[in-house]
Amino acid sequence: MSETMLEESQNRLQLDSQLSELSRVPPWVEDLGVRHGLAAETRYAINLCLEETLANVILHGYKGQPGHPIVIQASCSGDSLFLAVEDKAPPFIPSDPGQRTGVAGSLGNMPLGGNGIHLIYRFAASVDYQPLPDGNRLILGFPTIAAKKIAV
Amino acid sequence: MTLSTESIDGDITRVMLDGRLDIQGAAAIDLKMNVLAGSARNLLLDLTNVSFLGSMGLRSIVLPAQTVKRRGGKLALLNPTPMVEEVLKASNIGEIIPIYHDLDAAVAALR
Repeated sequence: MSETMLEESQNRLQLDSQLSELSRVPPWVEDLGVRHGLAAETRYAINLCLEETLANVILHGYKGQPGHPIVIQASCSGDSLFLAVEDKAPPFIPSDPGQRTGVAGSLGNMPLGGNGIHLIYRFAASVDYQPLPDGNRLILGFPTIAAKKIAV
Repeated sequence: MTLSTESIDGDITRVMLDGRLDIQGAAAIDLKMNVLAGSARNLLLDLTNVSFLGSMGLRSIVLPAQTVKRRGGKLALLNPTPMVEEVLKASNIGEIIPIYHDLDAAVAALR
């Protein structure tokens, strides 16, 4: 395998649509982080955004059914690392939910769900959705130089 | 993800979590957490050794907190790492469930 082919294979991860496959993501992100010199905060943000994205695809896109592909492809451009997550599930546009409000002071009424997409938009530097003829592509961007400042 | 407990001052159960509180980590502790929330008066979740927290992990914190509150008790979080605390604050959970970085202060608040 040539060096270019090796790098291409290292930048790509294909998963099956089952939650147990998510355990393959952190070591892949760790390797990606080492090769691209990513800050610990950026690696955390990537792990978080991928877990939320992949869980959405598996549980909602594929309705929890195994046997469907999900492909993550990493690429660098300028000072950013982009991760394209492609699936063949029905169209699903993860819109920016905006700032979470109305939760403070109400533990009893706090919803148990709904944090996943919110976290993706908070921890990724950019989120871009592209519909595919037979699926979806979500492109998550992260800084390669310094950790994104997360305002809380 | 592993979970161990110790009793502090009788009314406080300190729950020490260790590992990734991701989908699989949450599944590993959910039953034990629910049992603790249904039996302990006050819970102190020690997050010192939690290296990752995702949205499913947040559920594993919020649900027991709601259960403990319904029973008249309290739940507090101890010593999350900076990135875990970012997730808590980004979800607004940090505004509702108190976070402490000092064990004595956490115990005093739960008494």
